Amino acid sequence: MSKGVIFSIEEFAIHDGPGIRTTIFMKGCPLRCTWCHNPEGISPKLEYMFKKSERSICGYELSSVELAEQIIKNKDVYRLNNGGVTFTGGEPLFQPDFMMDVLDIIRPEIHTAIETSGHVYPDVFHRVIPNLDLVMMDIKHTDPVIHKKYTGADNRLILMNLDYLCSSGKDFIIRIPLIPGVNDSKENLQNILSLVKEAKSLVRIEILPYHKLAGAKYTMIGKKYNPLFDTEQKPDIHIFEESNIKTIVL
Amino acid sequence: MNTRIETLKNYILDKKHHQFRRTGDELGIANISESFEKDNIYPVRRSALCFYFLLNAEVPVIIPNEKIVFTRTISDIPEIYTKEEWDNIKNTYYIHERGTVCNISPDYETTIRAGFESRKKEIEIRLEDINLDEEGRAFLNATLICIKALQLIINKYEKYARLKGQNDTADVLKAIKANGANSFREALQLLRILHFALWEAGNYHNTFGRFDQYMYPYYKKDIDNGILTEEEAFDLVEEFFLVCNKDSDLYPGMQQGDNGQSLVLGGRDMDGKYLFNELSKMCLRASYELELIDPKINIRVDKYTPAEIFELGSHLTKIGLGFPQYSNDDVVIPGLMRKGYEKEDAYNYVVAACWEFIIPKYAMDIPNIDGLSLISCVKECLVELEGCPDYETYYDIVEQKMQEKIDAICDKHKNIFIIPAPMMSLLMDGTIERACDISLGAKYNNYGIHGTGIATAVDSLAAIKKYYFEEKCMDARGLFEALNDNFKNEPGLEKLLREEAPKMGQDDDYVDSICVTLLDSFDKVLNNKRNERDGVYRPGTGTAMYYILHTIDLGATPDGRKAEEMIPANYSPTLFMKQKGPVSVIKSFTKPHLENVINGGPLTLEFDQSVFNNDESVKKIGMLVKTFITLGGHQLQLNTVCREKLLDAKNHPENYKQLIVRVWGWSGYFVELDECYQDHVINRIEFGL
Repeated sequence: MSKGVIFSIEEFAIHDGPGIRTTIFMKGCPLRCTWCHNPEGISPKLEYMFKKSERSICGYELSSVELAEQIIKNKDVYRLNNGGVTFTGGEPLFQPDFMMDVLDIIRPEIHTAIETSGHVYPDVFHRVIPNLDLVMMDIKHTDPVIHKKYTGADNRLILMNLDYLCSSGKDFIIRIPLIPGVNDSKENLQNILSLVKEAKSLVRIEILPYHKLAGAKYTMIGKKYNPLFDTEQKPDIHIFEESNIKTIVL
Repeated sequence: MNTRIETLKNYILDKKHHQFRRTGDELGIANISESFEKDNIYPVRRSALCFYFLLNAEVPVIIPNEKIVFTRTISDIPEIYTKEEWDNIKNTYYIHERGTVCNISPDYETTIRAGFESRKKEIEIRLEDINLDEEGRAFLNATLICIKALQLIINKYEKYARLKGQNDTADVLKAIKANGANSFREALQLLRILHFALWEAGNYHNTFGRFDQYMYPYYKKDIDNGILTEEEAFDLVEEFFLVCNKDSDLYPGMQQGDNGQSLVLGGRDMDGKYLFNELSKMCLRASYELELIDPKINIRVDKYTPAEIFELGSHLTKIGLGFPQYSNDDVVIPGLMRKGYEKEDAYNYVVAACWEFIIPKYAMDIPNIDGLSLISCVKECLVELEGCPDYETYYDIVEQKMQEKIDAICDKHKNIFIIPAPMMSLLMDGTIERACDISLGAKYNNYGIHGTGIATAVDSLAAIKKYYFEEKCMDARGLFEALNDNFKNEPGLEKLLREEAPKMGQDDDYVDSICVTLLDSFDKVLNNKRNERDGVYRPGTGTAMYYILHTIDLGATPDGRKAEEMIPANYSPTLFMKQKGPVSVIKSFTKPHLENVINGGPLTLEFDQSVFNNDESVKKIGMLVKTFITLGGHQLQLNTVCREKLLDAKNHPENYKQLIVRVWGWSGYFVELDECYQDHVINRIEFGL
């Protein structure tokens, strides 16, 4: 039994995989995406959050057994609706041992999904991914320099893990947070497409349009929102549909 | 929506037809009660004559492009008793609400099929009975007057339509003046007339019942015979729905919008067949396109209802009308049978003005005769707390208090008087045969009692159990003082009760099991009660306007609720509960034995508009509804709101004239509500992304 840090459990999160699902927001992330809409998920530690000048603690520690119990509680509802649990964050693979312990308890009874940036060492990726039923992986940019500029890290690990995922036979979804002026160029989308279009187990591509409210939570944790891009542009997403890959805008 | 309907909609929303309205005063019929009194006219005859005078004074109005006609031109319905007579009646009898027949489900079907001539014949034959007493004869003659009045006004409209060159409308009117409907359009026109007539007769909360069932044969016949295309039929359905919004501002209710025009779709029959047809689907589509508050859609579902139906319903939820409302046949039908309704009737149940389950055609139930404040029962027993060795003892006292209050409430309902309603009687089963007005009763004469403040009561009991009896960290005196001074000097206790104490809606058995017991007790205290019409009492989980009324003198409560805060509407979590999510709410609220509280009253879930951003999320809302039904919930209503929009609408009502919200069992225009109702909607818990 291990311990982990999460910052939220959300019931009925409708954009995190099939059916009715519970989403676990795990704290801690190795990337620093400038558009991040869950900044409270970045630090792996507990931190203070201020809402309407009231201070509260963001994040809490719990054991794998405790988290598993909370997930299992709604198994009847998942079963009725072909749902399950989705781990997101932060970056859930930032706490791989904790995740493995939780998965050990809840599988195979409960359908499990992860939303990951893929920015982890391949050995971690290879260890955890086989224990999940569905992988939702972000691809932000194929260019390592631009990737580093906007996320704080280049995309070497991500592309390695993507390669593994494409050949693994594991059902997966590619999610693209579409940031105006950063990664919404036709070229970048074309490059992402060429990386994944041969993969047989690609379920679909999900486009997450940039949301202006993304900056709302920064001041609550004492940070400044500094997006480095123009927040008003309109994205173009036809390219995937033209290649007959199912695409949905969330 | 085609341009014809759109033009009609704009005409009606712009209230252009209001130009034709006149008051009773202007027409010289405002004081007809005086001549009734002078001539000592029988009450039932007064109702019929008043109806006749009104229809006689109506002038035909045909709005440009209208196919389903009849527009009300008289804005107020005169009283049939003088003020002095009515005061006398009120002093002698128990009067429910306005004293008129209301909130029942008329049988339109029989008259639409048989036609007026045949109904007339039926009454005339009955009048040949030499054993009829004077009262029976007066009643039957009154119903004849009603039919005569109807034929007179239809005739007027027919002539007018002919004059205007609208021969198709004139032909429809000519046919249904005498005979039953032969086509979908005739059936809709006749339904419009009958419904129009009920309001003009002074009855209110006139529901539509199972529209998709009784209208279906006409629809099917016309489609099969090529008389109508599906689009033409849809066009008529839209027009019919539109027409329901034409005179509705004249319909009496607690607030504008509370007019009871509910319509029920789907449902399972006794052979296990799920009755959702093309017409049912059309109704959802029409409502979706029109975006108007009437008619208010209910869908009867059960655990075997296909996911597609929930999805269709959710598309309608998305646009924020506050309906459809769902009811669960698996729970409601056995619940009604347990209360003595025959199986066949229970299977035919519909929803009354808000959410009360009633039986069309056969029931003269009064499902909203009173309300019991469950939280008051809990609070009034706090003085006994110190003498109780354990929670069970305290709870027994609360249950006794419930019994005492119920005894007193039921005692009030003696010697009831309801104004005779010959027009409504025509549309209820057996009245002609019994030669007896519907106001005097029917096959079922049951009364319903709302149980209000359920979550507040349950949360309060849980807090008392946990902190007073188990953890002993709260003493009785301290609690009284805190409640009396509205937690002014006890912020610590307030925080404990309000934020730390378990709340119903978090899927916590500790508190949810208290609700199971509380609702069982509510059923128990009403179980042996009979009313003077030999009907039973039905407990329910609705609040109607009592969520405001029962809060007024309540004061602060042991769940940490402050005096000025409202109790939740209907069967819903407390307004300040720490939210785990809609799944937990559903799980908590499906634990009680809901078939035992069958008067109705929905769980309300509020969603932010952003939840419905694509078809997939709409589908998931459908899944959530199906989950509620599968887990044994009885009734569910979903509201799509946007808090910022509501706040803005409060400040700038001029910009939000069409903003619709669900209030308690009905939807209304937000800007037309009193402020206390507006605030309640704003403060409800809402699920976002």
